[in-house]
Amino acid sequence: MTNQIPPKPKKQSTFVKRMLIAIVLIAIYTWTIASAQARIDWGKIFSIRTVENFDRIIPKFFDPAFAETGTIMEKMIETIFIAYTGSLAAAVIAVPIAFLCASNIVRNKFLNNVGLWILGAVRAFPEIILAIIFVAAVGPNPFAGVLAIAIGSTGMLGKLYSEVIEGIDMHVVEALEASGANKTQIFFYGIMPQVLPEFLSYAIYRFEIDVRASSVLGIVGAGGIGTLITFAYLNRNWEEVGMILLAIIVVVTIIDQISGYIRRRLV
Amino acid sequence: MTNNSRKFIPTSLYPAKTKRIITVSLIFVIGFYLVSSITTESFIINFILKASNITDLIARFFPPDWGYVSNVWGKLFETIHMAIIATTIATLVSIPFTLLTAQNITTNKVLYNFMRFLLNIIRTIPDIILAVVFVGLFGIGMFSGIIALIIFSIGILVKLMSEIIEAIDMNPSEAIKASGGNTIQTIWYAVVPQVLPQFISFSLYVFEINIRASVVLGLVGAGGIGQLINKEINFLNYPAVSTIVLIIFAVVVVIDYISGKLREGIL
Amino acid sequence: MIEFKNLSLTYPNGTKGLKNINIKINEGEFVVIVGLSGAGKSTFIRSINRLVTPTEGDLLVDGENILKHNGKSLRELRKKVGMIFQNYNLVKRSTVLKNVISGRLGYTGTLKSILNMYSKEDMNMAYENLKRVNIEEKLYSRADELSGGQQQRVSIARVLTQKPNVILADEPVASLDPPTSHQVMTYLRQINKEDKITTIVNLHFIDMAMEYADRIIGMRAGEVVYDGPVSEVTEKTFEEIYGRSIREEDMRGGAADDE
Repeated sequence: MTNQIPPKPKKQSTFVKRMLIAIVLIAIYTWTIASAQARIDWGKIFSIRTVENFDRIIPKFFDPAFAETGTIMEKMIETIFIAYTGSLAAAVIAVPIAFLCASNIVRNKFLNNVGLWILGAVRAFPEIILAIIFVAAVGPNPFAGVLAIAIGSTGMLGKLYSEVIEGIDMHVVEALEASGANKTQIFFYGIMPQVLPEFLSYAIYRFEIDVRASSVLGIVGAGGIGTLITFAYLNRNWEEVGMILLAIIVVVTIIDQISGYIRRRLV
Repeated sequence: MTNNSRKFIPTSLYPAKTKRIITVSLIFVIGFYLVSSITTESFIINFILKASNITDLIARFFPPDWGYVSNVWGKLFETIHMAIIATTIATLVSIPFTLLTAQNITTNKVLYNFMRFLLNIIRTIPDIILAVVFVGLFGIGMFSGIIALIIFSIGILVKLMSEIIEAIDMNPSEAIKASGGNTIQTIWYAVVPQVLPQFISFSLYVFEINIRASVVLGLVGAGGIGQLINKEINFLNYPAVSTIVLIIFAVVVVIDYISGKLREGIL
Repeated sequence: MIEFKNLSLTYPNGTKGLKNINIKINEGEFVVIVGLSGAGKSTFIRSINRLVTPTEGDLLVDGENILKHNGKSLRELRKKVGMIFQNYNLVKRSTVLKNVISGRLGYTGTLKSILNMYSKEDMNMAYENLKRVNIEEKLYSRADELSGGQQQRVSIARVLTQKPNVILADEPVASLDPPTSHQVMTYLRQINKEDKITTIVNLHFIDMAMEYADRIIGMRAGEVVYDGPVSEVTEKTFEEIYGRSIREEDMRGGAADDE
């Protein structure tokens, strides 16, 4: 009996906690399944038509429209250009914001939080929603895609950069201060050499993500290969969808390999 | 002293080779930027030229149409439900795949490499293209969106988890094997306890990603709030769009916050 | 000349870093400050280049009260007072040469320093100083490729490139092994004698203090409890400074009787 007294109160609270979690989970799942049941027409999904679709569509994926290679590659290159222009812009814009957020550089909690809040707000929007907004603003062209990529990437890069900055060795800064360097010199001699390789590595990593992202922006009219997806899909031209998919897989894989190689050599 | 004219004085802070590499890389980065920004018509000048469009647009989006809020709830819940269902199923399905793509569990090289290859391909396909394909197969609606999200999430989860499993301490599993445990017992007693917290944490992380992803799937008819955005954009009903976007923003922030807190509690 | 006049330092949380210090350090002296960790040695040294700011009293460097300095005048002070740190504080990813030339930052315009535009004299000086500490062949190595002793020698070269009148060294050998410690101290001593640079070193090790110092200042709990030429110092003096008997860990050992 005496041995059991200490763990007992803790056990009780864990039990209550677990029951609460279980109840919340059951409630969420009941609600979810009920709503899904109401919305999904199972009869339609498991129908002859679906089987026919499979028969019709799947074989076409494995018979991609190689004749379209020229057009598709042209749009694929545009996709890469959009991703590159957007990533590079973000890689630069994110730097000042990241320094604003880094608590070891800007010793003002309020400014740090404002910066983090802006970056968090930007990250909450999927790129494609940003693209919809920019298409409305500047028209259906690659520029809208570049804007969407640039802003979306700034949200992530700013956050990652600021974490890098907060991890630097501040003793170096002290040493430069002790030798009479001014603030700008400390920035270029003490801080930039410590953070630059990671900054570059993250920017390249973000470029990988941006190539994926910009390949779908065309669906809302923001340029790149996504434009072709919409047409092919509306025309039920599945051979072309298959070819586009193949192009995306190949190009994304190649870019991932190259960027992985560069990033391994950087740090 | 004797040979003053040949006395070595360094002329640069970097060795010549480093300097060359940096120069060449810089020329490449800037050159590629010029090419890509000019072809996509998004050179720095374009930002300035189009600045007025963007400010005009912001004016058109404001004020948000608060009366529209009541139209949003149905599709918003559909979006959340899609993410819940897809994350749950993807989590369960990814377990066997995770084990098959962890080098220290799957010792068969051929099987391991094949699984790696397959998953790498899956991860290159953007979520929205998966949705296009499944809408083609199963027809318009939430079901197609869920299947697309499941496949998309498996790609991410398996990658993250197999890395964690590859990094675990293999000594306990050796001990269990030595005491006569079979493969399943070894996994259950030696592997699962080491990775369970990360596994749950990653599932929540994928849930966050799925919320964002399911927002956009509606653009191609795969259910969720994206359908509403698409509709209102086509009607040029910008105040309604900004209402939707603000609601999405709020939901994403709240869900990220809750999920972040849960993940902190787990790890 | 450096003069502490009734100098005290109270931290915002109320703890006293320095208590009523009155010390005069003459040009060209090699002073070693000894004391247990937390005795205020580091605060003492960092007051001289104002990495910490004393709260009461006066601190005169070459006749100027440096406690009033700020902005430009503070940078001027720091140009003539060089500092060496326990952990070398080099930019690990930069080359040795870039670390050394950063000693010239106080003398170089901001724009020039950003564009790495240094005069031939500056580059030559940096290279000559690397030669002085026998590490010139590493000029293009990254700092993190070097051993601890080599990094500390680079940081000495950096300080020399600054052309200081005073060198402060805060536990310069605490992270090094005994032979390397002696090597670094020998360089500091040599520079002090050849260039007549006033040198103030924080040390924990009694044997090293005895071997290299002209004068020893003992600190305990923020106060100066001993000040005198090394010739008058005995083991008993250290026991008084440390407030306890001398232990094995207070000795560095090693190459002390090489010469």
